[in-house]
Amino acid sequence: MSDFSEELKGPVTDDEQVETSVLSGAGMHFPWLQAYVETVAIGGKRKKDFAQTTSACLSFIQEALLKHQWQQAAGYMYSYFQTLEDSDSYKRQAAPEIIWKLGSEILFYHPKSNVETFNTFADRMKNIGIMNYLKISLQHALYLLHHGMLEDAKRNLSEAETWRHGEKTSSREILINVIQAYKGLLQYYTWSKKKTELSKLDKDDYAYSAVAQDVFNHSWKTSVNISALIKIPGVWDPFVKSYVEMLEFYGDRDGAQEVLTNYAYDEKFPSNPNAHIYLYNFLKRQKAPRSKLISVLKILYQIVPSHKLMLEFHTLLRKSEKEEHHKLGLEVLFGVLDFAGCTKNITAWKYLAKYLKKILMGNHLVWVQEEWNSRKSWWPSFHFSYFWAKSDWKEDTALACEKAFVAGLLLGKGCRYFRYILKQDHQILGKKIKRMKRSVKKYSIVNPRL
Amino acid sequence: MDFPSSLRPTLFMTGPLGLNDVSDLSFMCSWQNALTLPEAQPQNLKNGALHVTKDLLWEPATPGPLPMLPPLVDPWEPGLTAQDLLFRGGYRYRRRPRVVLDVTEQISRFLWDHGDVAFAPLGKLMLENFKLVGTGSCTKKTTVVNVKKLLQDLGGHQPWGCPWAYLSNRQRRFSILGGPILGTSVASHLAELLHEELVLRWEQLLLDEACTGGALAWVPGRTPQFGQLVYPAGGALDRLHFQEVVLAPGDNPQFLGKPGRIQLQGPVRQVVTGTVQGETLLAVRSDYHCAVWKFGKQWQPALLQAMQVDKGATGISLSPHLPGELAICSRSGAVCLWSPENGLQQVYKDPETLVFRDSSSWRWADFTAHPRVLTVGDRTGVKMIDTQGPPGCGLLLFRVGAEASCQKGERVLLTQYLRHSSPECLPPTLHLVCTQFSLYLVDERLPLVPMLKWNHGLASPILLAQLLPPPQPGCVQPLLLGGQAGQLQLLHLAGEGVSAPRLAGPPQSLPSRTDSLPAFPLLEPKIQWRLQERLKAPTIGLATVVPPLPLASTPGLVVFQLSVAGDVFYQQLRPQTDSSPHRDARPPSDTRPDCHAPTASWTPQDTAGCSQWLKALLKVPPAPPVWTAPTFNHHHLLGSIELQREEGAVQQLGVLREAMAQGRLLLQRDLGSLPMAEPPPAPESGPADELSERLGEAWAGRGAAWWERRRQVRTSGPKRQPRRPKRRTQLSSTFSFSGHVDPSDGTSPPHSPEGPPAGAVPRSPMTSPSQELTPDAWVQGIPSERRQTLRDYMAKLPLQRDTPEHAGTPPSSQASSTRATHSRQHTPILSGSQRPRKKPRMGF
Repeated sequence: MSDFSEELKGPVTDDEQVETSVLSGAGMHFPWLQAYVETVAIGGKRKKDFAQTTSACLSFIQEALLKHQWQQAAGYMYSYFQTLEDSDSYKRQAAPEIIWKLGSEILFYHPKSNVETFNTFADRMKNIGIMNYLKISLQHALYLLHHGMLEDAKRNLSEAETWRHGEKTSSREILINVIQAYKGLLQYYTWSKKKTELSKLDKDDYAYSAVAQDVFNHSWKTSVNISALIKIPGVWDPFVKSYVEMLEFYGDRDGAQEVLTNYAYDEKFPSNPNAHIYLYNFLKRQKAPRSKLISVLKILYQIVPSHKLMLEFHTLLRKSEKEEHHKLGLEVLFGVLDFAGCTKNITAWKYLAKYLKKILMGNHLVWVQEEWNSRKSWWPSFHFSYFWAKSDWKEDTALACEKAFVAGLLLGKGCRYFRYILKQDHQILGKKIKRMKRSVKKYSIVNPRL
Repeated sequence: MDFPSSLRPTLFMTGPLGLNDVSDLSFMCSWQNALTLPEAQPQNLKNGALHVTKDLLWEPATPGPLPMLPPLVDPWEPGLTAQDLLFRGGYRYRRRPRVVLDVTEQISRFLWDHGDVAFAPLGKLMLENFKLVGTGSCTKKTTVVNVKKLLQDLGGHQPWGCPWAYLSNRQRRFSILGGPILGTSVASHLAELLHEELVLRWEQLLLDEACTGGALAWVPGRTPQFGQLVYPAGGALDRLHFQEVVLAPGDNPQFLGKPGRIQLQGPVRQVVTGTVQGETLLAVRSDYHCAVWKFGKQWQPALLQAMQVDKGATGISLSPHLPGELAICSRSGAVCLWSPENGLQQVYKDPETLVFRDSSSWRWADFTAHPRVLTVGDRTGVKMIDTQGPPGCGLLLFRVGAEASCQKGERVLLTQYLRHSSPECLPPTLHLVCTQFSLYLVDERLPLVPMLKWNHGLASPILLAQLLPPPQPGCVQPLLLGGQAGQLQLLHLAGEGVSAPRLAGPPQSLPSRTDSLPAFPLLEPKIQWRLQERLKAPTIGLATVVPPLPLASTPGLVVFQLSVAGDVFYQQLRPQTDSSPHRDARPPSDTRPDCHAPTASWTPQDTAGCSQWLKALLKVPPAPPVWTAPTFNHHHLLGSIELQREEGAVQQLGVLREAMAQGRLLLQRDLGSLPMAEPPPAPESGPADELSERLGEAWAGRGAAWWERRRQVRTSGPKRQPRRPKRRTQLSSTFSFSGHVDPSDGTSPPHSPEGPPAGAVPRSPMTSPSQELTPDAWVQGIPSERRQTLRDYMAKLPLQRDTPEHAGTPPSSQASSTRATHSRQHTPILSGSQRPRKKPRMGF
């Protein structure tokens, strides 16, 4: 007889998590183990009738939810409330959260539920599961926000913000920060509404000063609310965006830039492309020097070489005086076209065709070869296959022409893609194709001019 | 490509898993997942609300899936259950039941069933301690036991596990003599092997990762109406079938003709198809082989290349970018880029797991939006590696840890590149990661932070997933998830352009095969049970087709599923048509019990199809009976040499001796022509026995056959008497006498018993009368959980030549391939429906 409970995890159901977390090491958990074990009488405490009925009820609710039978689920939910009376203290503690999850889902989709019902339910649940007060408040506010009830949502968050119970934990502190940030976001919505009102008003209007005062008040509150959260590592796009907009509006450019720089360059934060995009857009609005823009985009290029800003990056690099930037400009274009989602981007192809010709005319064959070496094994079948020649020509002749030119430059005039496009008889593009043929003959990297 | 302009707020924590206290806050409910924060201007608020489609529902056309193809002729038995493996009973007062493997029972069964195997080598070793003949003479040596006396003492009674059985002095002496050897060496050696095997089986029962990815694929045909289903068939799943299917508009999908077949040399675990630049490829993964076929102009598969993977292949995927490129990964931790033209290129190798140490050797590889970047996955995470970059570097795309707020004990079960997204819907950079608890959508441009997380709550491992094309010109793409136990879930993903991926509505479950039970006619309990078992068989493949739009009146979806029993079922779905009963639009007086009451019901056509399928299923012979241990009646074995001689069956005796000397099985054909239909020496049954026998037969559904047989016996009754002695000799041929006894010793050959073998209870009442113990049957009869142990054990014995199954099975193949020995005798023919098609090419 061998005992496996140590290596092969014990049953992990919601109700037994406490014990297994003590017993088990770092092994895998199998949620379906419990079902297997129940088919065999292998000892252990027998489940009470109460536990049996509640767990059966829970599975009925889940089944009904997955079948979108909201009314049926609501009926079962009615009986499921008995789990709040469970004698098992762990289950009793976990119950409010489960009830909230299922109940809010039912009420969100139920054909006869309305905002009032949801509010009543949420208020009750907040106080039943004291531990979940903050989370439920936050979600409740999101629900209200979704239904356009900004004021109610704000009130909800304010209540939650001031809620105190038991000892302070770090996770609760973060939650309070999140709640404050959401409140700040709501204030921002109001502010931005006021701002548009303000822009419609005449400066001489008597109401102007009142509204302006309002706008200022809001901004101050919001900055307090949001700034705490965005220092904690995370993805806080909506908060950062609105915060920066307000800072910018009041002329605090340095503050805005600091927020954005922190958000983009703090190593504790995930490498969020949006952080760099926001910073770039901000700098662009501020008319920052080109070198600064390039340095921001350089990092974005390393994270997301397929982003559409890369074409803008290329333009910047092309216009730059430095030779290394010109080289990088070529790299960026090749990089964009590596990605499956960008293969039909006509602008990128147009840029590449033009730029390749320019580079080759400028006697920088080595740059092209450097880029081409890592791609020559797969670009021909990825971009320049016979299949694509046919389908590109059918779908978008302009794209086909640009691609054919690039193909000709990189693979020589014998390339299938190039030959196929060349053979097509097109009246409007005829001249262009002829010009292309000449350029290919002259500049193709396959037969370097001696 | 656009990147979502504003991502969902998420807390980012690093560290080990199990720290999901706060960071999970935005992922708690599905309705939350569906919400989006309004854009900067509050005027857009209304648009935000519009994003949630409340009643995004696919309605099944029937309450459950229907059988697509007639059942295969190969018998199928449900595999092991927890009941077979776990120790029953135990400490009653423990709070938590304990999972303990029941080795004792298995070993005792093994010793009873395969006692010849277990004890024969010892018998041979102890040969000098036994005195077999020469009844009278007493030996002086105390170490020699007279077998005849010993057996006489036993009196034909074998005290089966009875501790109070009477023991003579002689027996006690024998047990003292043999005890240490019999008790420890055999048991400990066997127990070790058996234990190892049971652990393996139990782990397999908890998570059978072999079929990750699915073994069913749809290959589109010449016109959108036609297509082929590719799936493995046969008892060992080693025959690849190509079944042509026509999707008639407004009708159920129909199969055309007989399937084309390719016989392979191992069970098929994964079938993948893909069309890149107009070229359709089919990749197949077996345990130790991978192969790729190309569909030609006539939609005939032609083998491009097959390859052996020594360490065992765990995953194969086709490149969505370059035609003819594949990624395969093996248990050794290596990932290779494979194209039939350029051969193999190893791009990654690491025997260790990515994030933390995990014992599983499961690996997975898939492609990304960049044709030269692959993802490598194992149970602990997913990594992106650049095949052109320096080896060993890469970026973690997903980490089982606090970043994705994973739970304790959470592991990756499946990872997939969501490739079939049309550009105007989801971006082509999304990856799906499934664990036991949740599903994550990760964008490769923002690694480590999941864009979406959803607790799927499936009670079986998710090993199958498929992203479907958007059914309507909208931007919601269904994602189909399949659990191994047959559950299906449909999620609706949205996230076009600059908005972040999100759930567009509440997830939905689809009927599983067991929901089809009411469509079958009312059955006897036994057959009902068999049908239920069959419908409950694990799902190992999933394929979906969107029938051509101009033909079908409404956009629809056909989901095909393959079970491990080889059944292909289909289910038609259509999006809910009546313009969503939105709660505001509905009058409050509406008292319908449920707005989505299942409207689908079984049509007579469906039930007729089901009963036809059932009829065919019942014709399939049940799985071969459990192997019955050969029994010996020792009295007659020793005492009837004279009788044997009297009969003058000298020739047969010679054959028997020869067989024993060579250590091979004695087959019936060795003994010359014998009437084959002769019933076995049934126990002399009185009238009472006849009744129980009849009841037993009737219960097994063979009542009529029994009656027929009975009648024949009666009519031929008088002739039976004189023939009886002869029949005994025939019986000897059914013995499997693996013990190696030297004929020159003068021992008597095994002889037939006269009466019912005392105490030898056959393990199954269904033993077929003329069952020959050919090697195949020998292996087939053994419960599958014991085959590997038996083989391991035999391999360590000095008597290897005695084991018949060694001839047919390559030592490397897995247990399940033993079943293949039977079917491998089929000639590998890719048979077309009418004319012989292209020359068959063996896959592996």
